Amino acid sequence: MINNIKRVALAGAILFAGFSANAQGILGGHVTGNIQIDGQTSRRDSIIGANAVEEGLLLNARADVLYTNGNFSAGIRFEAYQNPLPGFNAKYKGQGIANYFASYNGSWLSVTAGTFYEQFGNGMILRAYEDRYLGMDNAILGFKVAVRPVNGLTVKGVFGKQRYYWEWGDGLVRGVDAELNFNSIIKSFAESKTRITIGGGFVSKYEKDETILADNPEYKLNLPHNIGAGSVRLDLSHGGFNLQAEYAHKGQDPNVLNNYIYREGQALFISAGYSQRGFSANIQAKRVDNMCFKSVRSETGEMLYINYIPSITKQHTYAFLSMYPYATQATGEMGLQGDVMYKIKKGTVLGGKYGTDLHLNGSVITGIETNHLGGRGTEGYSSSFFKPVGLYYTDVNFELNKKISQKIKLAVTYGFIRFNPVVEGHAGKIHTNNVVVADLTYKVTPKHVLRFEAEWMGSNSVYDKAVDDKRCGDWLMGLIEYNFTSKLFVSVSDQWCYKDGIGNYYNISLGYTHKATRIQVGYGKQREGIICIGGVCRQVPAANGLTFSLSTSF
Amino acid sequence: MKRLLMTLVLVTATAFAYAQNAKMPDNITLKSLDGQSVQSSVIQNDGKPIIISFWATWCKPCNKELNAIREVYEEWQEETGVKLVAISIDDARSASRVKPHVDGNDWPYEVYLDQNQDFKRAMNVVNVPHTFILNGEGEIVWQHTSYVDGSEEELIEEVRKLVNGQ
Repeated sequence: MINNIKRVALAGAILFAGFSANAQGILGGHVTGNIQIDGQTSRRDSIIGANAVEEGLLLNARADVLYTNGNFSAGIRFEAYQNPLPGFNAKYKGQGIANYFASYNGSWLSVTAGTFYEQFGNGMILRAYEDRYLGMDNAILGFKVAVRPVNGLTVKGVFGKQRYYWEWGDGLVRGVDAELNFNSIIKSFAESKTRITIGGGFVSKYEKDETILADNPEYKLNLPHNIGAGSVRLDLSHGGFNLQAEYAHKGQDPNVLNNYIYREGQALFISAGYSQRGFSANIQAKRVDNMCFKSVRSETGEMLYINYIPSITKQHTYAFLSMYPYATQATGEMGLQGDVMYKIKKGTVLGGKYGTDLHLNGSVITGIETNHLGGRGTEGYSSSFFKPVGLYYTDVNFELNKKISQKIKLAVTYGFIRFNPVVEGHAGKIHTNNVVVADLTYKVTPKHVLRFEAEWMGSNSVYDKAVDDKRCGDWLMGLIEYNFTSKLFVSVSDQWCYKDGIGNYYNISLGYTHKATRIQVGYGKQREGIICIGGVCRQVPAANGLTFSLSTSF
Repeated sequence: MKRLLMTLVLVTATAFAYAQNAKMPDNITLKSLDGQSVQSSVIQNDGKPIIISFWATWCKPCNKELNAIREVYEEWQEETGVKLVAISIDDARSASRVKPHVDGNDWPYEVYLDQNQDFKRAMNVVNVPHTFILNGEGEIVWQHTSYVDGSEEELIEEVRKLVNGQ
């Protein structure tokens, strides 16, 4: 509580400083913000594995208030978890000011004091970000400075501690990053068809000593206190061609996630492609080896990550295509992804009157080779760079979007997914899933829209009591949604595991949107599953009851 | 504690009382599709209205909205002079596919990347799609979240009202 008072006081002082620094401030400044409240009830349902909510109602809520006046801005965020929604870490329980900052954003200098988010390159050595739906927030509390001495050059520096639910982690994070755009720096290059940007960063974390025993408990590990990670990157394009690459390297970082080995880490990410109007082709490759980088070495959960390793599988949104999502394995993985989009022009035989959009995507992710060298306190393993070992995930999917008439639009998707349960951290056989989705939109009147969605998934996954994965089996789903203009919608859906599995999940939803305000109420059963955003995932337990959500921006 | 809170509330209330339409922040760093860092002040349309649409490659309604507007964009531009600026909030996972996605869908819009989501936070965007209309002075005069087929009509109606000085 004392802490909260201090936070409120600080935020108040920051706001005040902003006002008094510029007497015109109150007149010239603006207060904006947003609020979101999510609630859920659930009763016991032993078939789907839902537990009763003892509190009756679970609530997550947050409000951001932002004050802006010219180059000055300040903000606070209030969060309350009374008690946290299912799937959110119980350590979130409570309420208070989670986030507060003051910042100056000039043309060549930006400074932020307080909490902030930041990313160097692709985030492979540093990414402080938040995702409210994942309950993931690794904001840094400290200082951030960015300098742009000349057009085309940006140098950033950050330091601070990371958010750990309602506390701040013990480890210190320090980082610098520079990015140079040749076309802005070199005058004769300004109009060139070739665009080149290069960048590089370095991040170091400090953590004090602790006692971790080696595999032979007579020895205590000699832990490094300062650990560095660096990366270099390139962004190059020439007309329709583009190439992006980043390589990151991390020093010896024995931690609980790599079982306290002293092997150095590395990661490589490459993306290359060609695109023109109506057509694009893109290929991505990635290799990650021992790149878990946290500001506290003994932390196992979702918090205190300093870096972020992007997943290179497609992020699906249809229910069955996202039933078995891929989660990045930062300890070691390699993968490839290809993506082709093509728009068949209108007025052609295949394109018809309105044209047809085609989208083909495929990815394959495997483990890396590991030759065991020893346990805790040793190098751990050796690995040859180009050798994939063991399948984690394969996804081939094809999507066709077609406007059939003024009133009817159709989207058909086929997906083939092979999934290794080891990526979710439990045993089980690799299984194969075929998914077909048909999504039809019918304009009843110019503003009233009826939507049907039908999905089927055939799977050779088999329900096993020991694992108790209720997603197993073959599924059917139907959804009908009616939109009374963009303001009001009602939808009814059912997901039914008709073979080898468990459960029937119906849901009724009602939503109201007015400008930037949205209210949604749902009643029904929620399948236990996994929500993933950007390759980071959260387990969602089954529920049977009422959900509601309110969000607004002002 | 109470006094501080009170003050805070008062100050906020005062600011509200005086607040005109909030302006779009013009000092947030975004990335252009060719990898160059730019300030949000590049979002301009010579005193004519601007539509800002926050979207992501993986967001179905966002893609529906931007595809639907593609079909009528030329007419909209001729009629009202409006310009649509699409802000992608894709993170490192899909950011490198934004340009292929824009080209593959044949979108005629000005597109910027907001990978660190600074602009998204500054504009108080909670979910995508979230669409804003700015007047000639860069003030936010209308905003809307979510998309269903046909709601682009409401969007252009609002732009028309603005152009006709209503």
